[in-house]
Amino acid sequence: MDYIHLTISELHEAYVAKKVTPLEVVKAVFEEIGDDPDNAFEYLCKDEAISQAEKLKEPQKDNLFWGIPYVLKDNFSTKDIPTCASSNILDGYVPVYSATVYEKLLNSDAILIGKATLDELAMGGSGTSGHKGKTYNPYDPTLEHMIGGSSCGSAACCARGLVPFAIGSDTGDSVRKPASFGGLVGFKPTWGRISRYGLFPFAPSLDHVAYFTRSVKDAASLLTLLAGPDKNDATSSTREVKDYASIIDGNIKGYKIAVIDEILDSMTDKEVVDRFNETLEVLRSLGASVHHVHMDLDLLKAIYPTYNIISCAEATSNNANLDGIKFGLREKGKTYEEIMTNTRTTGFSQLIKRRFVIGGYSLLRENQEDLFIGAQRCRHLIVDKFNEILENYDVIYLPASPSCASKFNDKSDVLSAEYLICDNYLAYANFGGYPSLTLPIGFKGNLPYGGNFTSAIFTEEKVLNISLALENKLGYYNLYAKGEKK
Amino acid sequence: MKEVNIDVLKNVANSLMFDMSEDEYRLLEGEFNTIIKQMELIHNIKGVNEISPMTFPYEVTTSTLREDEPSDVISTEDALKNAKDVIENQIRIPRVLK
Amino acid sequence: MLEPVIGLEIHIEMKTKSKMFSSAPVNYGDETNTNVTVYDLGFPGVLPTVNKGAVINAIRVCHALHMEIDPVLRFDRKNYFYSDLPKGYQITQYYKPIGRNGYLTFNTSTGEHKIEIERLHIEEDTAKQLHSYDCTLIDYNRCGTPLIEIVSKPQIHSSEEAMKYIDEIRSIVSFLDVSDGKMEEGSLRCDVNISIHEVGSEKLGTKVEIKNLNSIMNVQKVLDYEFERQSKCLETGEPIIQETRRFDETSRTTQAMRNKTDAVDYKYYPEANIIPISLDQAFIDDAIKTSNELASSKLKRYLQCGLSEYDANILISDKDLSNYFDNIVKNGVSYKLSANWLIGDVSAALNKFDIPISQFPLTPAQIAEIISLIEKGEINNKQGREIFAKILENNTLSISELASEFNKGMISSSDDLLKIIEEVLDENEQSIIDYKAGRDKALGYLMGQVMKKTGGKVNPKDTNSLLLEELKRR
Repeated sequence: MDYIHLTISELHEAYVAKKVTPLEVVKAVFEEIGDDPDNAFEYLCKDEAISQAEKLKEPQKDNLFWGIPYVLKDNFSTKDIPTCASSNILDGYVPVYSATVYEKLLNSDAILIGKATLDELAMGGSGTSGHKGKTYNPYDPTLEHMIGGSSCGSAACCARGLVPFAIGSDTGDSVRKPASFGGLVGFKPTWGRISRYGLFPFAPSLDHVAYFTRSVKDAASLLTLLAGPDKNDATSSTREVKDYASIIDGNIKGYKIAVIDEILDSMTDKEVVDRFNETLEVLRSLGASVHHVHMDLDLLKAIYPTYNIISCAEATSNNANLDGIKFGLREKGKTYEEIMTNTRTTGFSQLIKRRFVIGGYSLLRENQEDLFIGAQRCRHLIVDKFNEILENYDVIYLPASPSCASKFNDKSDVLSAEYLICDNYLAYANFGGYPSLTLPIGFKGNLPYGGNFTSAIFTEEKVLNISLALENKLGYYNLYAKGEKK
Repeated sequence: MKEVNIDVLKNVANSLMFDMSEDEYRLLEGEFNTIIKQMELIHNIKGVNEISPMTFPYEVTTSTLREDEPSDVISTEDALKNAKDVIENQIRIPRVLK
Repeated sequence: MLEPVIGLEIHIEMKTKSKMFSSAPVNYGDETNTNVTVYDLGFPGVLPTVNKGAVINAIRVCHALHMEIDPVLRFDRKNYFYSDLPKGYQITQYYKPIGRNGYLTFNTSTGEHKIEIERLHIEEDTAKQLHSYDCTLIDYNRCGTPLIEIVSKPQIHSSEEAMKYIDEIRSIVSFLDVSDGKMEEGSLRCDVNISIHEVGSEKLGTKVEIKNLNSIMNVQKVLDYEFERQSKCLETGEPIIQETRRFDETSRTTQAMRNKTDAVDYKYYPEANIIPISLDQAFIDDAIKTSNELASSKLKRYLQCGLSEYDANILISDKDLSNYFDNIVKNGVSYKLSANWLIGDVSAALNKFDIPISQFPLTPAQIAEIISLIEKGEINNKQGREIFAKILENNTLSISELASEFNKGMISSSDDLLKIIEEVLDENEQSIIDYKAGRDKALGYLMGQVMKKTGGKVNPKDTNSLLLEELKRR
């Protein structure tokens, strides 16, 4: 019997029924990883995982995460386990403390299999800019299609079925977009729901801990485990955390679904749009009502530039600690300034440096009002508009990406004037901190793509419930790639 | 707003403690054309100049403060083990001119 | 006539138990890099948490400076690269300081001054660097220590005023237990800016800044030197350049700093890792209500309770001394006697042993016990001093036992005492006549005679009252 391609709850049942042990599963996972065909790992925790699994003898019926293997994006601080955020500047860095998310999983006896690749410092969307190069889409044996980023390694591990869940981070769409390309559930709860302590910051006002699972119920269970206030994160919310898995039942009678026409109209892949419209029919058949709402096109076009300015500006400051003095790479220099400059010049890739210059320029005294503060004002306007929609409708529903995964050479991270609304709109959920969930709704050839539900802040049960309803109806449950790499 | 040219971009890069190749600066100059155009679009959106800048995704305040009690101290060894040049339990750098 | 226009920025290190945004302890002089958490080294992923004690301190200082307190705390980032700044930014309050629009009043030789204070904000300190001839060593113990920065308006017009202003601030933070306020130890640091203009002129001159002065004397030297230098510039037509200058202690001059290109742009922007903190009125009120008494308030109280201005000022010149004093009088003994003892015998002992009052071995209660015995007349002043000296040598002795030693062989029966008084009166008819004629000296003489006859073994207070009674009768 194949035990490594199960969901969290299925594997849990297998453990409780004593059909398999964590040690057997962990060994099988490492065998399956082999030589890492998707280039999904920065670091494999083989010894650590096996010694942890050896200690897990008696299954815990009430602890869903007991013995469950998972991966962490390599921008979460893990004590004694190297963490480099796929950047040369953090070469050799071994954290001396653990992120709250990792602590919680460790305390639940979940087993960390490895640290997953990402776009360098999580600043990218293609899964190509990490220092180890491209991470591949497990659904594509030809190595031509991306899995997307920045949580590329986490997405690839989960999509290949190596682990039933994988932790990532989402600043613009870094979990919800790769979830679409990987046929996964990708969930970003409300800003403040899950402690960010130990997550390497990209842009704290937009950063979220987010994750991939292969079922909606698993996503609900994981939220209950990871959510809650943290004394180490002053932005973590004290709002009540529910037992989400048990309160969702897929009954969406009376749900009001908003579809923003201008975003849908920006999507040009007819096959995807038709399939999306079919899912609208499915949702209607379940008792929900679908409403086509409108938004100012200019405001939608503004999402990407607004995101770009705010995230780049915040990133310059948040990565200023990477200076060669205290940890990571240190280049030589005759003065501390030379050490810093040489270290940062060789430690960051060109792409990152260009983004830093954009951010630094936006924060300059004489530019700040026009650029950074201008973008923050625009963010406010955009959020007000989306809040208005979410006050009147239960969820916003749209395709999570304009199509299935694109080819590597179709897209580059160089800013292009031909930005597209459809490729960047998901950042609105980061602007407003909304719970936002991507789940598979179709395949184009052998490549999956997803839809995205988003609801008002702290209403996670709504997106989870409607996602569960759609998952049940479409049958896209526990999808994973079965193909071999060529 | 400061005019964008290669010298200005170099200054920004240097103030952030790194340098780039000439090609990169030229590429970046091109990217800035797009960014400036996009930002002009933003500034033309109705109401954008009247609304307040947003730092947090939603309006929220707290009244919880950390109690003034020491905790979570790390050992000197942990504090310094990732540094490349340590002497006498301190990180060493070239002499800083005051 | 020219006058200087001076503004002061004072940075004060708080002596909280933990740091501003991390829970590392604040302890001066500990082994290097022992008082740190992951936050203080700026490891990736760390987040700030705001210290309640530091906020309470800031509220108290704001109140003492008559400032408006912002009920919502907000923080910002100041971005720059420096070897003592591990995160590459400092969390401060740039846009919304906790305190605004306050003032400080004080007297100098030229009269009363009211200096307006623009702002007070909270921030975190940087790491300490030890510079040797070929390298610099970084110690992160100081990094993250809570600071408050107090910025005056440029309303100070002499170095004397500036010194007095700093001294008043030092006194406030010290009496409130916010800080040691010691410039020599770096817990109070001062940046000055100074320009000059014609007295009465609205126009301000070009401002020169001198940072990080580490003693009140240096503040005076710098300001006097700069006033001279800038005045000379005006005279000779040499331009005054807006710049930051450095004070050279050996030559007692200021010199332009090596040209730090155009002013650094700190790219301030709001800190997204700390959501706004709303301070409810009860919290603010409680911080103020429970704060220690300021020197100015103590001074008033001391004068009201009969101390001379001279004595009262000595007591409030030192927080520990005045606290010691307050702990003596708390026992119900007289202010005047307590001040005499503290400024007299106790201070002499401190000088002799070269220790601060905080290390004085006798407790305020012990001093109060001696004073109380004197007040009750059970011992006299001289005996009090003897007891004080003995206790100082051996603190295990009991004051009451020592006092009863003196009283051994005392004539305690009032019949016996009366007998002796009668004898004395019989022997000194003339003194009785003198006393009745209103010559008070006679009473003293008669007391002296009783003492002589008894070898001092009587209670002076009881003797005095008995003597008076007997005189009335005759």
